[in-house]
Amino acid sequence: MLSHCTTMTDGDYDFLIKLLALGDSGVGKTTFLYRYTDNKFNPKFITTVGIDFREKRVVYTASNGTTTGKTFKVHLQLWDTAGQERFRSLTTAFFRDAMGFLLMFDLTSQQSFLNVRNWMSQLQANAYCENPDIVLVGNKADLADQREVQEKQAKELADKYGIPYFETSAATGVEVDKAVITLLDLVMKRMEQCVDKPPAEPANGNESTKLSDEQPSEKKCAC
Amino acid sequence: MPQAAEAINLSFLSEYEQELILEVLRRDEELRQAEDRRVRKLKGELLDVKRKGAKRGSGKYSPRSCGRCLEPLSILTVFSSQCKVCNHDVCQSCRTVYPNGSWLCSVCAKESDLKKQTGDWFYDQRVNRFSALPGRDLVKVSLKKKVQSKRETTGEVILRSAEVNPDLPVPLPRNRSRDPPGGIKGSFSENSGFHASRESVESKEESWAKPSQSDTESAENGSIISNKTGTESGCVTPEQQRRDGRLVPASPPGSGIATAAVPPREAGSEASSARPSLDLDVERLFKKSIKRDPRANEYLSTLDLRDGSARTGASMGTRSRSVPGLDTREDGEEEEEEEDIDKLVSFHKRSMACSSSSLYSKSTLGSLMSIYSETGDFDSVEVSGDVVFSLSYDKTTSSLQVFIKECHGLAYGDASRRLSNPYVKCYLLPDKTRQSKRKTSVKRNTVDPVYNETLQYSINHSQLLTRSVLISVWHHGRLSRNTFLGEAEIPLDSRDLESTHLDRVALLAKQDAAAPPSLFSHYKGELVISLKFIPPKKSPFPLSKGKKEELGDGGELHVLIKEAKNLVGVKLGATLDTFVKGYLFPIKAKSTKRKTRLVKKNLNPHYDYIFVYKELSLEQLQEMCLELTVWDKETVVSNEFLGGVRLSSGEGIGIFLITSACKRDAFYLRPMRLMERTRSGHQAGIYSDICHHAHPAECDLGLFFFVSAAILMQIQTCLISR
Repeated sequence: MLSHCTTMTDGDYDFLIKLLALGDSGVGKTTFLYRYTDNKFNPKFITTVGIDFREKRVVYTASNGTTTGKTFKVHLQLWDTAGQERFRSLTTAFFRDAMGFLLMFDLTSQQSFLNVRNWMSQLQANAYCENPDIVLVGNKADLADQREVQEKQAKELADKYGIPYFETSAATGVEVDKAVITLLDLVMKRMEQCVDKPPAEPANGNESTKLSDEQPSEKKCAC
Repeated sequence: MPQAAEAINLSFLSEYEQELILEVLRRDEELRQAEDRRVRKLKGELLDVKRKGAKRGSGKYSPRSCGRCLEPLSILTVFSSQCKVCNHDVCQSCRTVYPNGSWLCSVCAKESDLKKQTGDWFYDQRVNRFSALPGRDLVKVSLKKKVQSKRETTGEVILRSAEVNPDLPVPLPRNRSRDPPGGIKGSFSENSGFHASRESVESKEESWAKPSQSDTESAENGSIISNKTGTESGCVTPEQQRRDGRLVPASPPGSGIATAAVPPREAGSEASSARPSLDLDVERLFKKSIKRDPRANEYLSTLDLRDGSARTGASMGTRSRSVPGLDTREDGEEEEEEEDIDKLVSFHKRSMACSSSSLYSKSTLGSLMSIYSETGDFDSVEVSGDVVFSLSYDKTTSSLQVFIKECHGLAYGDASRRLSNPYVKCYLLPDKTRQSKRKTSVKRNTVDPVYNETLQYSINHSQLLTRSVLISVWHHGRLSRNTFLGEAEIPLDSRDLESTHLDRVALLAKQDAAAPPSLFSHYKGELVISLKFIPPKKSPFPLSKGKKEELGDGGELHVLIKEAKNLVGVKLGATLDTFVKGYLFPIKAKSTKRKTRLVKKNLNPHYDYIFVYKELSLEQLQEMCLELTVWDKETVVSNEFLGGVRLSSGEGIGIFLITSACKRDAFYLRPMRLMERTRSGHQAGIYSDICHHAHPAECDLGLFFFVSAAILMQIQTCLISR
């Protein structure tokens, strides 16, 4: 359906990093990714069927670890998931293959924001580990007059989870790149950590402990 | 939940939607293939770096030489020249220096780069992710026969299933095709299992918060498996096996394996007759998946007349696939995934049966097998005579001296010409590799050869106890094959190595050679672990995933892998890069697999690592069995199995310990009394510290039991190790 201008499957890159966007239906995951990869905006709402992905090649400059200052070619595979409930079993199954997550909500929809915590617990249950790298993204920042979610609110939630927060607009492109690059950076740092400092402490085998600080008030929601 | 992909049901989608999704997945596959090619290339580069020299654990190198290029190290080095990962001393040119000033040796640096570039860091993490709902997964996973690669992605799985069976994207084909004949799986129909798995996905789907009711059902199913396991494991006591072995030398009912088929080499030992039944039990016990390899027939040897031959071939086939040189795809990680002690052991057994297999001649396996597959005749000669020798240990040079004085009254190797050209060959068991082979000269035309030769082994005194010297005498056939003239095995644990008195020992034929095993000969080190069960009580601290909390059966089993002690490598004087791998039976599934980190170059490695299994009830646990195995990490060849334990808390919280009764025999499970709780007080201290750190309020809720299991790890490590 969509034409993907670049299918770079030549393997000429240093890292293949797989990221995944998730969030309620209609928050703008597809347009966000489209903006990121092609720098274009498609205002039409076409619901994503199950899953899709887009690719982009970026150059990453390492900022820490043993490789500081080096630049790498990174091939990004950006998975786009359907927000609709009926695809849930399919989409959650793809969580386990992603190294980092763009958790998105719609700044003009309070409900989509409330569901963020549900998506969080879905992630914890299905991702490759219990505390994967996540970036919280409030999309549609350009629609200021329809805004239902205040920045402070969202920021607080992100702080609670200990994850970065960005207000983006796929329509104008604001902060889109930054959100993705921040996530990439987190993933790359995690990679360095995993490899260069093998977990000497049992903490690694015991994910539940790690999470308890990030999730102090993750009591069950009542929805 | 790594199993999620197994249960994906696409049938709720319209055809059009399915087609769209498959299209996406095909694109993904393209990318994945390119990625696979890239990864393979990278791994090839690592191998290249490694081949350039590099000290392996054994072999003689000057201590002041570079661990990589083997050039002598400059004496002027002021700073430490040890690589901090592998501890080898490394010269300047074999280092990779990082911008922050630290450095690693070229191989370790490459390894670390590779972990990042191939994405292995990610897949390794994912492997440690345990399944959230073991109760259900047990059922689900039990239907899954094939071990999947750790790199497998959801997309791959769905795509594969869709392409195999386009009409029915529902269950994965392998769920059905891999059903082993008979066995426990019979108790579930595929449908029910499948149902369960589908249910689990759906229930999750519906429910951000709704507790599901299917729990009891699946728990019951789970316990069917495990009950069975419990009863069977009860039967496998050493006593019984031995009895079986003696009284029922024929095949146990239903096994289809006739003892007669066991090659002469072993026919006489009581252990071998017990083996088939044991094998079956162990197999049933853990529901080992039996690989049926289509290529199997190629590997069948003529010696193999058993009904089970198809399987023999299969296991050899599997094995040989992971032998480098027989397989161009040198993917260390994948090899590792295929290792399975049961498989290894059964491979070992078969391989002895098929001693004339030439398959291995190109690989290292060739030399490993030489003790059994020596191109020679075992049977043509009536063994006679004796050998006069002495054994002594020289502490100053740390060497064991085997002095071969002479032999008397040997048989004729070439009976028709009444001729013998005898020589003596020694192995320091259990090392049966070329490295432990020592030979005397050949004496021409005599049955009473006088050698007066000393064969030397460099070995630490502490390791001596676990070894024995195998002295065999061979006729050197100049044009024909060498002929076996007899052998004697001398365990070192009960021997006085101070004096050099001469011993005269009668030579024995192969089958009688198995000396009564001493306790020490199976001692492969110890593993210090502690187990703790945290009951499913509502915990005072917020459990991270709230949903499961409400399901309410969330007991946790914590397994602290503290350390291993006195590990024994097969190779002489080798150091080991070890890790511990854990599985929670009855199902040997990815979901229950845990690995510790790798501790390099250490025979007493400290792991301090906790395996956590969640969502277990105490009842479930009592019917489960924890398998912990210790492995020596090898990058080029497959990892070497060092030993292991299986622990089960079945009846009365007994503990089963894997060990081996007889040399070169399979494992069996030996019940061992649990150590008193109080006795392990200080270890409890250690662990509770860690617990304390983790869950302040949980400590006293836990039920501790400790094992300082003398892990009498197994035996024929050598044969199965490569």
